[in-house]
Amino acid sequence: MQGVSDYMSGLGQAVAGFLGPDILALVLGLVLVLLFIQVNAMFLVWAERKVAAHIQLRIGPKEVGPFGLLQTIVDGVKLVAKELITPQPVSWLLFVLGPVLVFAPVMVPFVVLPFGPNLQVRDLNVGLLLIFSLGGLNVLAILLGGWASNNKYALLGAIRSVAQNVAYEIPLLLSAMSVVILAGTFSMQGIVEAQEGVWFIFYQPVAGLLYLIGAIAETNRAPFDIPEAESELVAGFHTEYSGMRFALFFLAEYTNMFIVASVATTLFFGGWRGPVADGPWWFLLKVYLLIFGVMWVRWTYPRLRFDQLMNFAWKYMIPIALVNLLLTGLVMKLVGAA
Amino acid sequence: MHELKRLLDDRCGSLSWQEAEPALCGYSHTIWLEVERLRCLARVLADSGLVLEFITAVDRGHGLELVYFFSRPAAGWRLKVALRTAEGQPAPSICDIYPVANWQEREVFDMFGQRFDGHPDLKRILLPADADFHPLRHDFQAGEQHDGDHFDLERD
Amino acid sequence: MLRATLTDDTFYLNLGPQHPSTHGVLHLLLRLDGERIVECEPIIGYSHRGHEHMAQQRTLSQFLPNTGRMDYLAALMYNHAYCLAVERACGIAVPPRAEYIRVICAELNRIGSHLLWFGAYLLDLGGITPFLYAFDDREDLLAVLGEITGSRLTYNYCRFGGVARDLNQAFCDGLEAFIPKMRRRLADYHTLVSKNIIFINRTRGIGVVDADTALAAGFSGPCLRASGVDYDVRRAEPYSLYPELDFEIPTGQNGDCFDRFMVRLQEIEQSLRIVEQALERLPEGEVKAPAPQHPTPDPGDYLFTYESARGRVGIYLVSGGGRVPLRMKWQVPSFNNLSVLPSLLPGTLVADTIAILGSIDVVMPEIDR
Repeated sequence: MQGVSDYMSGLGQAVAGFLGPDILALVLGLVLVLLFIQVNAMFLVWAERKVAAHIQLRIGPKEVGPFGLLQTIVDGVKLVAKELITPQPVSWLLFVLGPVLVFAPVMVPFVVLPFGPNLQVRDLNVGLLLIFSLGGLNVLAILLGGWASNNKYALLGAIRSVAQNVAYEIPLLLSAMSVVILAGTFSMQGIVEAQEGVWFIFYQPVAGLLYLIGAIAETNRAPFDIPEAESELVAGFHTEYSGMRFALFFLAEYTNMFIVASVATTLFFGGWRGPVADGPWWFLLKVYLLIFGVMWVRWTYPRLRFDQLMNFAWKYMIPIALVNLLLTGLVMKLVGAA
Repeated sequence: MHELKRLLDDRCGSLSWQEAEPALCGYSHTIWLEVERLRCLARVLADSGLVLEFITAVDRGHGLELVYFFSRPAAGWRLKVALRTAEGQPAPSICDIYPVANWQEREVFDMFGQRFDGHPDLKRILLPADADFHPLRHDFQAGEQHDGDHFDLERD
Repeated sequence: MLRATLTDDTFYLNLGPQHPSTHGVLHLLLRLDGERIVECEPIIGYSHRGHEHMAQQRTLSQFLPNTGRMDYLAALMYNHAYCLAVERACGIAVPPRAEYIRVICAELNRIGSHLLWFGAYLLDLGGITPFLYAFDDREDLLAVLGEITGSRLTYNYCRFGGVARDLNQAFCDGLEAFIPKMRRRLADYHTLVSKNIIFINRTRGIGVVDADTALAAGFSGPCLRASGVDYDVRRAEPYSLYPELDFEIPTGQNGDCFDRFMVRLQEIEQSLRIVEQALERLPEGEVKAPAPQHPTPDPGDYLFTYESARGRVGIYLVSGGGRVPLRMKWQVPSFNNLSVLPSLLPGTLVADTIAILGSIDVVMPEIDR
């Protein structure tokens, strides 16, 4: 009996502890994350349109709000107000599940993103793994959406997406592993700590480049936007989606872009560290600079063909990433021995 | 040109060549021939490197006049080959000799109702498959019966 | 033929008539094995308006506005071709100044057509920015042409015996600014696109048509020249001022999408040269000679060929001696150029289909007439 009561009181304390300041922080964190996702996506959509416009000798949105900043809100309202069309021959449950599944995983990585020395919801010791494993869910959602749409363009888009994501996740992980070997930890905060002084991009330029290319492919952005290639597949996997369901795919794309840029910043560019006054401003500055680079690429290059894309991943990126990982391990072993 | 003439006479029997004024009508010679000799002629022309530009027809109200234009692109030399078909009389298809004839013959069929024997897939090309008229025939009258309600969009 | 029940793993895809990359209302019925094309049947005629039938219902002058509505991207060239055809058949003289103006406009129209094609082609390949660059240039061009023609797309500027209006200052000023700008932009296009490795990989060796196949398939225009045949109606059967003008006929070697692309870009440069020469030599004088209101050719048939932006246009006019022609056949280049698709596509990927279709540069209203 004594044992049971001890056990019960211990459990009670644990629950109380969990429900205390900890759960408060968690809820607060989640609310902040959701808010950030929305604001960030709105800003990114606006930024994308402005960047594209200026690259293309246009002005871009300018009517709603200062510099057209509120344009995305108006567009959001329009999307909310639009009819959710569900075509007759779709598989309803999977069709509806698609956008939900694509959006849910993009929220979770924010828990471990190290915005600043203290600005992080949770510093998990498997932070990097968490991000990559949730990133893998994205492809499942796209496959579901594309398959359930019962549309040939959507199906082709989904097939392309699966093949592409499977191929590009490997070099992405391999290049990240090189950094993990250097840092000796999967914790996002730990990786930033390890870059005191020199950023890992200087130790791992190849891995950094591979990661950036893989990240563009992973987020289905041009020149790797073949799953939605509008001139071939109309809109690819989300051809049949309208209104808010489409908006969720859209939101997820921009949030994903932010996540991969954050991970790149954390792994290769020293996270929140800067020459002076370390803090979240440095983190955000680097992330947005990277995203600007990704946008620049998108509005400059034409699209690769599907088989060229796969060739590039399997024949070049993966072998290079493997060799790079091997060399990194070897050098670390030698340095450790010496 | 003379060589071609000799070759044609050799293989397809003698043909009547009519001189034309290229600076006015755009072609140098006309050959009128019977339906039966068209394929023979086309084969000789193809062997001598002439290109088929297009096929068309003229309906003057008494049978169709089929017109084929062959040319030697580099020389800017053009030959008109014309033949008459009676109402309902099929002409031989030459699309195995000249691939370009495939769609050209379909267009002539579509517009004039001229049938081509040996065409692999002779069907309408510009008008819907269920149209029941050939608009460039002399007896065709554009009018209400061909507008709007004729084409059933709901039909498979 | 194509609608037979499928028992293997292939499936049908209706690419078009509403699709971002079919350039109008082309409908490709594709049979696919995964992403590979097994069979392709182009279905055309969605924008058939019966221009040839209309031509048999009205006088030659009344048909003039129809010409710009066939190939709406080369409307001035169709205008020009039709006027030349009728003038030759009816023996109408044209004052030299008018002919120079017509050539200037036709070549500008060719540049505009190629620019639109260039932009749309890159759009097909997923490059969005060049599209807007090309439209920026084309906008300047349309503004310049608008100064004298009064319209932007479906021009109706040529008349039997001349043109509707003389050049004005705004046109000349606009052209003076446009030509050097276009040259700079062409250099930009080459750096941005022709040397881009992704673009080269997408177009090199794709959709190869050799010279013999091209001739047998009835190719003409840039598509044929890309296959290495230097056939251009402006050279083969010179009309208008072209015998006096100094220009080259760009050709390719491989007949692939990349060559078709390069030939068109080089043609823009050649057209600029022609415009410059014509402007330099532009004589003074009338721009419209008196011509009968309803020209009536003698009974007989007349074929006139013209090099439009997409290839050889043939106007076959059969006159019975009346004001209304007995028959008017328009042989349009895109019709033949497109007809090669069923033999060219099988074995390629969906992405290549778009690349090949785009490189042929079809204008559907021209094909459907």
